[in-house]
Amino acid sequence: MTAHVHLTGDGNYFEDFEVGRRMRHARSATIDEVENNFISKQVMNTAQAHWNEAITAGSSFGDGRLVFGLVTGSMTVGLTSQDTAENALAELGLDNVRFRKPVHHGDTLTAYTEVLAAGPADCRDDAGVVRFRHWGRNQHGDVVCELERTVLIKRAGHWRRDAASREEVVSP
Amino acid sequence: MAVDVDFDSFPVASKGNRFEDFSEGRTFPHHWGRTITAGDNAIFSTATCNWNPMHLNAEYAKAHGHDDVVVNPMLVLCTVVGLSVEDLSESGGPFLGMSDVVFHRPVHPGDTLTASSSVTEARESASRPNAGVVTWHTKAHNQRGELVVDYRRTNLVVKRGNP
Repeated sequence: MTAHVHLTGDGNYFEDFEVGRRMRHARSATIDEVENNFISKQVMNTAQAHWNEAITAGSSFGDGRLVFGLVTGSMTVGLTSQDTAENALAELGLDNVRFRKPVHHGDTLTAYTEVLAAGPADCRDDAGVVRFRHWGRNQHGDVVCELERTVLIKRAGHWRRDAASREEVVSP
Repeated sequence: MAVDVDFDSFPVASKGNRFEDFSEGRTFPHHWGRTITAGDNAIFSTATCNWNPMHLNAEYAKAHGHDDVVVNPMLVLCTVVGLSVEDLSESGGPFLGMSDVVFHRPVHPGDTLTASSSVTEARESASRPNAGVVTWHTKAHNQRGELVVDYRRTNLVVKRGNP
């Protein structure tokens, strides 16, 4: 169970998520053909404003293909994922997902996180449950989406200690 | 040589529903279904910067009790919403938000999702007389009939007679 501990980093186990901790995630990403046009069709979102350039001319949401809200949400979560879920066991849910402004091809998202809550998991003592609030902002500084996310995350006290003791056992 | 066909006379094979179609309690079993492949998960997870080994390293996932990688739950959510769009939101109006999204169990490559939604609330928009605000409860199941995800979603939906 602990053999792959070297594949993931430190500083993102359950114990590291004190309530109130804030992070601006280091990498931002531009939304373009692959992220919106392709994924919207991949997930069978039939609303053609996401992938028909001609139909969006003069739209009240602005000219150009409109990014599917959940592509914006998924990118926001993705940009947070190394810092918030690299040592996760499971994604449990989302809540209060809001799309504040339209996003178009060429816009760049930056993700922000605050730890809202951290507590024990039901039925297991090797992990805890952390509730995050995430924000996605565009290159102009406007918040385009926000959401809360609940994740089951390994406790270092269990997973890293077991890994350390196993390494001692197997070392020559 | 010009093609002598009056294309403007062709009626549109129209898609989607309008505000008046969403009576509270009405249920929509959504079309198509979708088998999520390993390729879907790898492309989606990498394109959204979600390079988590639980989603992209099968040996890591197996070491955590899975038979294969765990499909990125955001892909599961996007797919279920995608399956519901023609019935619920294709006719236009902004996606306002979602709540109470619960991922009940993991999805693995090869699993097939189907979805259905019921109208939980439909009301007039205070600011947009040509539209209403509709909330649906959507559920998606896998090929074994197990609940995979459910959530509530709210959109502005235009009324009949509006573009």
